[in-house]
Amino acid sequence: MDRLLNIDRRYIFIAVFVGVVLPLLIGFDLPIKPTKNVRAMYDTIEGLNPDDGDTVFISFDFGPSTITEMEPMARALLRHCFRRGIRVIGVTLIAEGVGIAQNLLDDTAAEFGSQYGRDYVFLGFKAGNEVLILNMGQDLPGTFPTDIKGNALESLAVTRDIKSLRDMDYVIDIASGYPGVDEWIQFGQERYRFPFAAGCTAVMAPDFFPFLQAEQMNGLMAGLGGGAEYETLIGRPDKAVAGMRPQSVGHLVIIMFILFGNVAYFAGKKNRS
Amino acid sequence: MESDLGPQTSSRDRLIFVVFVGAFALINGGLILSGRLPTNWDGLGLILAAGISLALYSFLYEDNALFKFAEHLYVGVVAAYEVAQVWYQNILTDVFNPLFRPAAEVGPEWVVLIPTLLGLFLMTRLVGRGVWLSRLSIAFIVGLGSGLVIPRRIASFILQQIGPTMQPLWTDGSFAIDAFLILLGVVSVLVYFSFSFEHTGVVGGVSRIGIWFLMISFGASFGFTVMARLSLLIGQLTFLLEDWLTLDLPLW
Repeated sequence: MDRLLNIDRRYIFIAVFVGVVLPLLIGFDLPIKPTKNVRAMYDTIEGLNPDDGDTVFISFDFGPSTITEMEPMARALLRHCFRRGIRVIGVTLIAEGVGIAQNLLDDTAAEFGSQYGRDYVFLGFKAGNEVLILNMGQDLPGTFPTDIKGNALESLAVTRDIKSLRDMDYVIDIASGYPGVDEWIQFGQERYRFPFAAGCTAVMAPDFFPFLQAEQMNGLMAGLGGGAEYETLIGRPDKAVAGMRPQSVGHLVIIMFILFGNVAYFAGKKNRS
Repeated sequence: MESDLGPQTSSRDRLIFVVFVGAFALINGGLILSGRLPTNWDGLGLILAAGISLALYSFLYEDNALFKFAEHLYVGVVAAYEVAQVWYQNILTDVFNPLFRPAAEVGPEWVVLIPTLLGLFLMTRLVGRGVWLSRLSIAFIVGLGSGLVIPRRIASFILQQIGPTMQPLWTDGSFAIDAFLILLGVVSVLVYFSFSFEHTGVVGGVSRIGIWFLMISFGASFGFTVMARLSLLIGQLTFLLEDWLTLDLPLW
């Protein structure tokens, strides 16, 4: 029993590896039920009016290390916006997010024939973290006189009439660390009172539930699961939905090991007594 | 799979290392010869990405030179990328151009010198005699940061949270279990963290309830953490299977 309790952890790694690889190779259906927090984001975007020039501001605050969790939810969000004809302004508060955000916007826009400048704009990156959020809330064209391509904001249809974050119809932060949701709530939503939602890594999600309850944000996508729910809502299952199969089996493997460890512990304790 | 066996272990590990590298080379050779991997920069990029991913994962077996190399390479590449991004999107546009390449009608924006100097003063921490200059920048940062952060944090994290905690327990003639649980959880956890009095009797009982709430929340956090880490593994394995080995994975 002691040997079982002190099993080499590399056996556990192999079990988790097999538990993740097999579902990737074998396709099967798993039902995905969207939760209230993800549905709230979806409904808010569904309620926006493209004819009025409603605009969604998305901050892509994640880098390559969390791209697996964050990219599917960002892509699903963009697909929803572009499909409805909602204008999108993108920005990133971290340097390594520039390439990722730019590719995401361009690739997803191309799926719907959305045009840069008319349907979406990417402002790029500036250092400043919280101060950048405050500045954008006060004066967006002053903070970003030009977009990432060097176009003046007043020359682009999407940003021509935008003065600050207060003019946005929905602000969404997709973040995996600092600066992220905490900073957007403190220095953005709290000060400028725009409708706000977030997407985050699963590990951060429990920290943000109090903000949902206090209605400081109206929706939250948590990790790959949140992305899968949003893909289900827009009717376009993709990488997040596909990732739910190995995710579920991987979780089962870990639950089995936890149960096994507890049984071995209590059985060993009984033997010793 | 115990590994603390001295010279036998190191010769076995060397063998595993050689087999690993050899297998990687063979697989790539097979993929290139079969035409599944292109023989251009994209193909080389895929091979490099796959190799670096596997080198990083080799840490799961044991710390080794391949892992260390990949780790240092990653740090170096990220640092270089960030420097390039900060230069092009911040320093060039907000400092260099306004000072040295200003618009003709505006002229040089000398006010930009103030934050630039404060930033340069921070670098003096690397120089023994000029360290006192960095204290000016740090004082500015601490003062500005405190002034910006403290009121915002109090408003967002404390004041805004008090209201939803004080929801009525009876609404429309029915008991609001959610509001009760929130109230019970907040009060009992606060009692648990109050160390000015002994946790005995009623206080001890409430404190125990607080411990249960904490344990349940830690369990939820652990579950979310497992989900996050598995997601990263899924992403990397999807890349290795789909993009590198060019397998057709079922999407849904």
